Amino acid sequence: MKILELKNISKSFGAIHALENVDLDISQGEALGLMGDNGAGKSTLMKIVAGNFSPTNGEIFVEGKKTSFSNPLDSRNHGIEIVYQDLKLCNNLTASANVFLGREINSGFGFFSRLKHTAMNDRAAELFGELKSETRPNDLVERMSGGQRQAVALARTRLSDPKLVLLDEPTAAISIRQVAGVLTRIKQLKETGHAVILVSHRMLDVFECCDRVAVLRRGNKIADKPIAKTSPEEVTGLITGALETA
Amino acid sequence: MFSYNRLLFLIDHLIWGILIVVFVFFIFQSEHFLTERNISNILAAAAVLGVLVAGQTFVLISGNFDLSTESTLGLAALVGVWLIVPAGTPTNGGGIFMNPYLSIILTLSMGALIGYAIGCLITVGNMHNFIVTLAALLIIRGLMLAFTEGAPVSGFNNPSADVFYWLGHEKAFKVPGFGNIFVAVLATGLIYFICHLILKHHKFGRELYAIGGNRDAAEALGINVNRRIRQVYMLSGILAALAGWMLAGRVVSIQPNLGETFIFTVFAGAVIGGVSLQGGRGTMLGALGGVLLLSTIDRGLNLMQVSVFWIKVIQGSIILVAMLIDAQRVRLQELSNIATSEKKL
Repeated sequence: MKILELKNISKSFGAIHALENVDLDISQGEALGLMGDNGAGKSTLMKIVAGNFSPTNGEIFVEGKKTSFSNPLDSRNHGIEIVYQDLKLCNNLTASANVFLGREINSGFGFFSRLKHTAMNDRAAELFGELKSETRPNDLVERMSGGQRQAVALARTRLSDPKLVLLDEPTAAISIRQVAGVLTRIKQLKETGHAVILVSHRMLDVFECCDRVAVLRRGNKIADKPIAKTSPEEVTGLITGALETA
Repeated sequence: MFSYNRLLFLIDHLIWGILIVVFVFFIFQSEHFLTERNISNILAAAAVLGVLVAGQTFVLISGNFDLSTESTLGLAALVGVWLIVPAGTPTNGGGIFMNPYLSIILTLSMGALIGYAIGCLITVGNMHNFIVTLAALLIIRGLMLAFTEGAPVSGFNNPSADVFYWLGHEKAFKVPGFGNIFVAVLATGLIYFICHLILKHHKFGRELYAIGGNRDAAEALGINVNRRIRQVYMLSGILAALAGWMLAGRVVSIQPNLGETFIFTVFAGAVIGGVSLQGGRGTMLGALGGVLLLSTIDRGLNLMQVSVFWIKVIQGSIILVAMLIDAQRVRLQELSNIATSEKKL
């Protein structure tokens, strides 16, 4: 089943066309690598799916139903979780506070509600355990290594049971040793029936864990084919423009 | 053993140590310092300053500034009294003789409105908070001077005044050693307790820390940052008006310059209490320490009969020292973070 379908998505900022008539879809249990050079429109496309921008033109379908996202919460409520490239962590807060940011567990209602610190810390500890991270819920994020920070950002996506997880350059800011861990997590997500979109510059990562690769160049999707039917050389050519289309 | 964390902990709680040292110093300097009357006065002065610092703490944690609160305080005191003065009294009032409860509600609403307007200018008008609140500081003060033509307003000796002045003027009970405890002191204590609950145990507080820590992240995670900022300025406006209402009960007549230059003390109190100007850091307990320290120093210097000119010099130096401590805290924090995250790699 198609989890997410984008049809004819265009986005312009004044005279600049960041995206032009892009179609993209992804099914359950599938991992899609989204590649392209800087300025190709990857981030814009991500932000549209994340609910940060609304497209100038085009339609978004989630599980076959037409929807629109007016803010990041909308997108989350539709079962789409995003791990941003810069992780969007608050250094001054604890790991647990970061995981639950915007979705705190409360008792009571409205003004008379209260944060349930213990419940959140326990759940965060569980999530870090599942991610095989040594992060402790009460540690401050500013005291963490790159890998631990990433675990905090990834733990957020596990709060709900998302249909689609978007990862924006998840391996860009961490040590080589930790890359394997991230790729394992992507495979885990796939095996548990989630759809994954991996935005990456790293050919190796995409070819190791994705089923399909889509290439953007100057706001247009110029290729979308199964990993098995392409090669890193071809994809590189498509990204740089050495090859016009696939 | 040396550790950045231990040093940071010391800096964060330095305030209580300083408070004790300063307190003991003044006891030796003036025989009048450790009297019930003086302690009662320190607490009463701390109450008004404390309410302003509480509001400022919220604004600072969210990564913003509010310079305008001293003017809002003055305007609130002025308007509140102006409204309750009966017709025909030569006290420069409005002669409206308004029900004092209504006047209190109007005064606090005015504070909320001023705060909301400032919040809108910053978030919707996309202007810098420093400029907006500086302009508000001048405009509100100017309005006060223009409307009163520089003359004070007094509302004593009328039946409504008792109700209006109750908050700042009334003594709640007497505690041996502390003298008379004013209603204002209890009110401020209650405000600090509620503010503490909000910051520590409520979603609103958590979101303010997040916005002050990383605004971008807060936005991406679905927090309505602009709305929160408007709310925080509104809260600051309400608390400033409440401080004005409180102060009206402590002064005989409202001068149009009431509260002028108070904002420096407010910032000093917050910063000395460990609330960071960079946003995202600070607690109500720390802010309370800052407020008590400044009130103690102020009263102590008065009792020592230090000249007002020198008091200004000392106040300025205190602010400078507070900033110095804040800057060192940030630096230590960074060093400590590097030290711990390196270890974990």
